[in-house]
Amino acid sequence: MTGIAHSFKLKIYGLQEYTLMLVDLFKGLSTFWKTWADAVNEMYWIGARAFMPVLLGGIFVGIILALETGHQLDHFGAKTLVGRTVSLGMIRELGPVITGLLLAARTGAKNASELGAMQISEQIDALRAFGTSPIQKLVIPRTIAALVMFLPLTAIADISGILSGMIVSKLSLSIDTSFFWHSALSSLLMKDIFVGFIKPFFFAFFISTISCYYGFSTRGGTVALGKTTINAVVYSSLIVLVLDFIFTKVVWELL
Amino acid sequence: MINLSHVSLELAGKTILSDISLSIKKGEIAIILGPSGAGKSSILKIILGLWRPDTGKVFIEGKNIAGIPEKEIMPVRSKMGIVFQANALFDSLNVEDNVAFFLREHSKLNSKEIRAKVAEILSFVNLKGTEKIYVDQLSGGMKKRVAIARALSFDPEIILYDEPTTGLDPINSKSILDLIKQVSDRGATSVIVTHILNDAISIGDTLSVINDGSLIQTGTVRDMLNSENQFVRDFFYEVYQDAALFKK
Repeated sequence: MTGIAHSFKLKIYGLQEYTLMLVDLFKGLSTFWKTWADAVNEMYWIGARAFMPVLLGGIFVGIILALETGHQLDHFGAKTLVGRTVSLGMIRELGPVITGLLLAARTGAKNASELGAMQISEQIDALRAFGTSPIQKLVIPRTIAALVMFLPLTAIADISGILSGMIVSKLSLSIDTSFFWHSALSSLLMKDIFVGFIKPFFFAFFISTISCYYGFSTRGGTVALGKTTINAVVYSSLIVLVLDFIFTKVVWELL
Repeated sequence: MINLSHVSLELAGKTILSDISLSIKKGEIAIILGPSGAGKSSILKIILGLWRPDTGKVFIEGKNIAGIPEKEIMPVRSKMGIVFQANALFDSLNVEDNVAFFLREHSKLNSKEIRAKVAEILSFVNLKGTEKIYVDQLSGGMKKRVAIARALSFDPEIILYDEPTTGLDPINSKSILDLIKQVSDRGATSVIVTHILNDAISIGDTLSVINDGSLIQTGTVRDMLNSENQFVRDFFYEVYQDAALFKK
């Protein structure tokens, strides 16, 4: 019982520390231009370097979605609806979620391991000792970079998924391209696009801040660094799924 | 200049420092001596305001920094430079960028003036020509010099050294101690944390021995050698041995 109570106390303490970090982050946003060069550098690492995994993720999810739904819909003579399923599925759900999960792994691991290593080697203390806020110097550029880059990456996953779905529908299910496009575009509503494109901003914010928090919380040596990196990736991935549920159930139904 | 009054600190239920009172005068080289895990580095972090004591007061030039907000500590902290035990150099930056870090972030100097200042400091620490080298390509002794150069970049009045010679060979250790002496000769107050007795004796004006988070004794080398305290006598055992050999 004491162990559970202690563990619960630590979780509450962690939540408090994370909240305080967010307060500092919002306070520091007014002077984010000071770290613009760092943010641009992070955009390259978080965004440009993630292009290929996101593109491949989108392509394969699009192919699988088209094949699976195509074969099932064929039983009911409705395989022309594949375009609709693929476009709705990619834009509203799978595009943002696949991008979110890939970036939770990639960005989450990068942030937690970099900041964790800096914590262990006292570089974070050195920043503070030389009068620089670690939140300002390290968290704000990473969060801004994620906020800027996640949306175009999601769009890449969406487009590559729909295009790969179209190609596989033509080759494997013999669905004419014009049928596919007509079905894909006619079913899309403005609120589908809105929900699909608002998700990446929330995913970006929480993936970035959670992974930075875990980096800062690293204490000890390399084993601790491994643990905090795992925690950063796991909790970043979980928050992607939780937020996706909230957007699908609450936000989309409210619109 | 630096005054710690009844400072205590606990971390995760463990007593790190217990009722430490310590006074360091302007311009002196003060050594904080003790075995590993005695709480020596914690004292440096408290002096710098990185850690806040649970009880007690920490006066830096008359201003108590214990318990004041981070923003108010900054002007006090800008008077202090620190050399961390593992150097804590920014490994994504080269030597020049490490040394220029504070100046670029906080000074009003232009880039030409900053480059000139960095070149002057690197020349002082005998690292001329290493500006563009990344710090992970340097030897242990050179990294320590870069860390000292970074601490000197904004001409601080107080310099804190955490185990400055640990892990260095005897020749590099001696050159780092010589460098610390030169920095002190320029007027800076130096606080050095170490467990290496020879370093303490060779450059310290005053020595403070701590063990298990408590201050055991403060004084000169002579005071330590005449100490009645058993822990101090045990710690200085080597010196007694050397003195006995010398007499023979």
